Amino acid sequence: MKILSLFCGTDTYQKQLERIRPKLYRVAFSWSHNAALADDLVQETLVKALKNFRQLRDPAQLNGWLFSILANCWRDHFRQHRDMEDIDALEECHCAIQTTPEDEHAQSQIVSKVWDAVAKLPVGQRQVLTLVDLEEFPYIEVAAILSIPIGTVMSRLSRARQSLKTLLNELAPQQPGQVSQIRRII
Amino acid sequence: MINNQEISDEHLNSFVDNELSLDEQSEIFNAIGRDEALKERVCGLRSLKEMVQHAYRNPPAYRVSPINKLNNWRPLNMLNMPSLSACLLLLLLGWGSGWIMFSGPMTTNTSKILSLFQASQSNDIAEQGNIIVHVSNSNPVRLQTALDETENLLAAYKRDNRQVQVEIIANASGVDLLRSDVSPYAKRIELMMAKYPNLDFLACSQTINKLQKSGVIVHLLPHTGIAASAVEQINKRLQQGWDYVRV
Repeated sequence: MKILSLFCGTDTYQKQLERIRPKLYRVAFSWSHNAALADDLVQETLVKALKNFRQLRDPAQLNGWLFSILANCWRDHFRQHRDMEDIDALEECHCAIQTTPEDEHAQSQIVSKVWDAVAKLPVGQRQVLTLVDLEEFPYIEVAAILSIPIGTVMSRLSRARQSLKTLLNELAPQQPGQVSQIRRII
Repeated sequence: MINNQEISDEHLNSFVDNELSLDEQSEIFNAIGRDEALKERVCGLRSLKEMVQHAYRNPPAYRVSPINKLNNWRPLNMLNMPSLSACLLLLLLGWGSGWIMFSGPMTTNTSKILSLFQASQSNDIAEQGNIIVHVSNSNPVRLQTALDETENLLAAYKRDNRQVQVEIIANASGVDLLRSDVSPYAKRIELMMAKYPNLDFLACSQTINKLQKSGVIVHLLPHTGIAASAVEQINKRLQQGWDYVRV
């Protein structure tokens, strides 16, 4: 029976992976702000997860395990593009979004403003922020996913939110000056 | 009793993210009730969190491409072993019967094609040999190999005063070889065409149409011919007794 369940279990496992795919994609997109790259990163993550599925001892840890693979894939992506990105300054690296007329038009929307602000955060801070806010991982799990101490998670998150607040204030359209009220003069 | 100044940003973030114990949470709730500034800080953090969640709720263009579907791919250790064994058995049976049925002519033909380039250098090839070289890959190493080998072959025939007609036909990504704006060997091809009048380059029109439909403007190298279809051209040449080499 155990042997049979080994064969049957693979399909369930694959279905579980497909269910988590949108979550992985959302986080990958929030890190890269590039749909194609995010899709590639997720695919690579899932392929690695399928290849190494025997390494996962506790199925309850599947989510965290997948996100740690995603974080490694993201790191590998930076290593492979060393000529374009400075891996030594990964924590402080900034990723600018290329702006198009459409993007500029959408600037007025809150979603674009948040994307712009998040994209301006250093990669390390961006990763912590999105794992906590989007996937609601506990700090301890974020620390395990990114292989960093929990204190670093807390300080990065704090700095990320501080910067995000400042950036969103900067990106917000200037408040128009006080419009003088029309007064009736009797 | 704690107040706004005593609560660090990290601590307040932990509160917003439900990382604190019940006692710690109650302490902060009490402080919020007394302190408007602290309340504002907490509201600010909460609205930031909600804004981030809102911004990435529906990320753009999440579309799993057919090749990225996991259903089509499984690592070997996850395959169903009995099915795998049956497939292998069938494959072996098919290969075995095919080999028995066609062992005679196929062996000769295959070995001839495989050793075609090498044979040309040792003058084993027939006096009149026409060759069609099929390029379907844009890998620069393969393209260079195709050109090197063709040039060696033509040089060998020329040296021995023997007749040969060579056609290099490109389709799929191999068409890049013949695109003036993409080909890494444009100059070399031009020189080869000038040097060997018995060498022709052909591009597959179906590939060109596909590229044009996808918005790519295709400029071919001068004097490059266009075949209606690479497969058709290869088939025609094979029927005419040409030898076929795929690079």
